[in-house]
Amino acid sequence: MRRLPVYILIDTSGSMKGEPIEAVKVGLADMMATLRQDPYALETVSISIITYDKDVKQILPLTDLADLQLPEITTPDSGPTHLGAGLKMLCEKYDHEVNHGTINQKGDWMPLLFILTDGKPSDIQEYNNIIPIVKNHNFTSIVACAAGPKAQIEPLKKLTDNVVSLDTMDGNSFRKFFSWVTMQVQAGGKSVGTTDSVELPAPPAEINIVI
Amino acid sequence: MEKILEIIKQLSGDVSQETINKFLGDTVTKIWKEYIMDIETVIKNKVDSLKITIPNASVNKEYKTEVPFQIDDISEYCVEGLEDTGLTIDKNENGFIISGTPTKSGTFPLVIKYRHEVSLLGKNLERKIDLIINPDPRSLWKDLPVAPDIEYPKENTQVQYIKVPSKDGTSRKDIAAASKRGRSHANEGKPRDDDFKLYHNDENDWYVIAVADGAGSAKYSREGSRIACEIAVNHCINELKNSENFEENIAQYNLFKDDSEAEARKYVGDDIYKIVGNAAFLAHKEIDKVADEKGVPSKLYATTLLLAIAKKFEFGWFVATFWVGDGAICLYSEDNNGEQPQSILMGVPDEGEFSGQTRFLTMPDIFKDSTSLYKRLRFKIVNDFTALFLMTDGVSDPWFETDSNLNNPEKWKAFYKEIQDNKEHPVLLEDDNEETAQQLLYWLDFWSPGNHDDRTIAILY
Repeated sequence: MRRLPVYILIDTSGSMKGEPIEAVKVGLADMMATLRQDPYALETVSISIITYDKDVKQILPLTDLADLQLPEITTPDSGPTHLGAGLKMLCEKYDHEVNHGTINQKGDWMPLLFILTDGKPSDIQEYNNIIPIVKNHNFTSIVACAAGPKAQIEPLKKLTDNVVSLDTMDGNSFRKFFSWVTMQVQAGGKSVGTTDSVELPAPPAEINIVI
Repeated sequence: MEKILEIIKQLSGDVSQETINKFLGDTVTKIWKEYIMDIETVIKNKVDSLKITIPNASVNKEYKTEVPFQIDDISEYCVEGLEDTGLTIDKNENGFIISGTPTKSGTFPLVIKYRHEVSLLGKNLERKIDLIINPDPRSLWKDLPVAPDIEYPKENTQVQYIKVPSKDGTSRKDIAAASKRGRSHANEGKPRDDDFKLYHNDENDWYVIAVADGAGSAKYSREGSRIACEIAVNHCINELKNSENFEENIAQYNLFKDDSEAEARKYVGDDIYKIVGNAAFLAHKEIDKVADEKGVPSKLYATTLLLAIAKKFEFGWFVATFWVGDGAICLYSEDNNGEQPQSILMGVPDEGEFSGQTRFLTMPDIFKDSTSLYKRLRFKIVNDFTALFLMTDGVSDPWFETDSNLNNPEKWKAFYKEIQDNKEHPVLLEDDNEETAQQLLYWLDFWSPGNHDDRTIAILY
């Protein structure tokens, strides 16, 4: 069975503690509930979640939507944002989990990547080193979201052209963001490699496209 | 007891029996409640820290899971929350079993209510665990009509049967074809992007078949696939009107077909290049022209093309093909003179590293030089065959999935059987059965998880 792998990287550094991370959890739960109601997504989407703070964890290995149960997400009280290390784990998991087409195996759909952060990478050197490696992995699109006033856009723009920002980190903003992500996941797996870049669906007002 | 009375007397003098009784009652209650609370806290911690995971269920799918639940001091427990879901709970010595076929989807909070032997009467402790029941994807598909005013409208289905009646007492092969809008398109009210075109020349008995799959992501691909079939088939029709030279070359080639260096092979190759190869090239050019007139890039019309011409000679069947993109063209022989079934895949499907990546007729490099085009052409002479299949990936993906299966005659045997023996919509592949095309259309409705693209199949049999 060919799957549409969706990787989600979530910042769990200390600043996300409290309302922001709770809002993210609600957003993720809504996203799963919506996708389960989409027959195509229900049969094809597989999701992995990697969290990064001072530690990096794949809290959800790539799992079919039908079998998926959202794991607990915890945040430390304070500490750095190791996005570089998070991306490194992403590449390792990608190499291990995504099926490529061969004569004996049907390839998966090209994966999607969503990155959420409310700050900037603390491990800036590792971050810069991993960028070309991430770009070497095939993703239909990489969407990076800078959430809240302290999130820095510049480092994310080095990774992808698709950077969006949220002015606030409240429940409403995250809900809108995740429903926009949901739409992209629903569109993924149908777009075929004819067009050079995939057009993102228009974001709701709460989400600013960074140009 | 006497000691207690003595202490009370020392502290308060004579106290009525009633007061003492009340004191004793209150004190015991208080201490007993604390005692129970301690016990309950311990047991609650035990139960809450128990790792319980319940796999997700799905509507209409039989489900059974055993949940271990065994705590020493629990005198009794029950599990609630699955009423009306179609699932039932049965306890056994190790825990409980949830089983049944769910009828309702959603997230259901399962409540385990339990009590310790010494719990207060009627008081239960609880632990909640969510059970997720997925909907049945089949129930979620919508069949939305296409907006009436779209450019290049196209019917959601297409069927055709070309009945070629017997001649001089010999039955001749017919062509049946059907095409159906995929569920993923119907779910969004998008049109069908596949197409096909069939032809039989009643005078010289040439058959021409084209099948095309417009790229899902390309805006006008439904028109691309239509143009591709139309132009390619029309060119073959014209070229095959006066086919004497070509047929002589084929006859010559038949004599020397085992000699790969034979001149005859080259002549037929040149003819095929001119007829089938050129048909594809003209289709490519026509799409370019249409796109140009509209002022849009031709990749908006991206389409695959699978094209075949065939004719029966005294010495056997000649079949030539052009193939760009995914899907499959296969010449299948069930009997094969008593040998194992034989399948000849007439080319190599263009598949990429990831699903959905393929090549299209609209890509310039397909025709960049004659070698590029030649490698997409095939021709073959066989004694006879059971069926010549042309299909888009909407059909080949669910039944074959990989290149290695497409090259496996056993898989083609199973496929041929599946079409005819399908429980819900069998197809009667009998000569002159004009119902076949309609039956094929019904058959195209088969279910295969994750495979809901447009489906098109043409069979010469």
